[in-house]
Amino acid sequence: MPSFSHFFNILTETKGVFLKAMLLTLELTAVSIILGIVIGLIFALLKNSKIKVLELISDAYVYLVRGTPLIVQIFILYFGISGIFLLPDFWAASIALALHNGAYISEILRGAIQAVDKGQLEAGRSLGMTKALTLRRIILPQAFRRALPPLGNQFIISLKDSSLAAFISMNELFNVATTLGSNNFDEMTYLLIVAVYYLLLVALLTFIVNRIELKLAVSDR
Amino acid sequence: MLWNKKILLFFSLIGLCFLSACAEKEKLADGSELINKNQFVFAASGEFKPFSYINDDLTMSGFDIEVGEAIAKEMGLKPVQKRIKFKGIVEGVKTGRADAAVASHTINPQRSKHVAFTTPYYYSGPQIFTRPDSKIKTVKDLKGKEVAVAKGSTYADTASQYTNKIKTYDSDITALQALSGGRHDAVITDFVTGKSAAQEGFEIKAQQLISRSEQAIVLPKDNPKLLKRVNQSLEKLREDGTLTRISMKYFGEDITSKPE
Repeated sequence: MPSFSHFFNILTETKGVFLKAMLLTLELTAVSIILGIVIGLIFALLKNSKIKVLELISDAYVYLVRGTPLIVQIFILYFGISGIFLLPDFWAASIALALHNGAYISEILRGAIQAVDKGQLEAGRSLGMTKALTLRRIILPQAFRRALPPLGNQFIISLKDSSLAAFISMNELFNVATTLGSNNFDEMTYLLIVAVYYLLLVALLTFIVNRIELKLAVSDR
Repeated sequence: MLWNKKILLFFSLIGLCFLSACAEKEKLADGSELINKNQFVFAASGEFKPFSYINDDLTMSGFDIEVGEAIAKEMGLKPVQKRIKFKGIVEGVKTGRADAAVASHTINPQRSKHVAFTTPYYYSGPQIFTRPDSKIKTVKDLKGKEVAVAKGSTYADTASQYTNKIKTYDSDITALQALSGGRHDAVITDFVTGKSAAQEGFEIKAQQLISRSEQAIVLPKDNPKLLKRVNQSLEKLREDGTLTRISMKYFGEDITSKPE
């Protein structure tokens, strides 16, 4: 086991390389979360549409994406379709991550939308609002608040899933850790260091989600 | 009170099980140490065809594997293959996960600080590979270009002398596959590996042979008697033509003798 001072030395020495990699990890996560929410919302609404065909499309998408490992999806987008079309590595990873997140987020949002009291929809309709308007102005904001804790969970999972981009040679945190670890014959130290970076990022993400929850809870008072 | 004692006993038993996993190696009569008394556990990556590759039944085959098995036989031990990702092999041998590694390791000073090398068992060299339509011919053309290599290989060091756009994969074959599929500008890997991949249909072309290298078997530094035994076995296999035979089988030429 490496000593504490050895760990600290390497931590400070490699600061530059890891910070650059951390930026890439954050970029991958951010894109996959934003796209994931859009995709998730679309498929959640499809599922709630009461139109059988649209519901089936949503079911098929969720089943396919949840039913295959993320690494398989990343490899398909990176290696698999390179015969037809060459996706740059960043987009292969972030689109795979976004599609993957989207499936889980669509289930989270679907549940949250259904949990909003039926009375809200009825009240909106009786005021003369169309279903779409009620959805947009009344239901979704409430649903979103309910969805925050499980969404926050999904964001954290998404952050850690970004480590799979290492397998398509992207220089994010995990790749840098294993490359430096094998170059210096010291895997353990570098794995511990990268664990610290991930912990910091997750702490940051949790803090942000908590602040959003607090802000949205103002209406409870 | 009795409950607390039982819980303590239970957890210490579990703890003991973990400790026994880091068991001591067995010491033999001649002072050499092995993980198991009558086995020669050697590591390879299985991701470096034709030196090591995985069969459909998940065992490994290849030049490195046959050399490892021949050495075990010569020492009167049962050969046991251990598959470890290439980037973790040197550390794996150092920490006792295998007795030795027959995995095409190039002898270099950096590795020699951590592990011991036998005498070379084959001679080869890194070569540049590109797609057929590439303008890259020599190392000078690599400047500013993106080169893919395997993690933990000497090729990564080689590449960094000519460019700083380096992408790493776990295996050379994956790097060549990506190159063939249209990504990156070049791959640096062993000239035999690239030749073999091209023969299997990868869309790659060989360019400059950068340098010559010597590949040897890796052993832990704290086991000099085993190193001596393996070197003696290697010498026997050279003398009786076994190494040459294995080389001819895989390459149609003898790469186990020092080139003139």
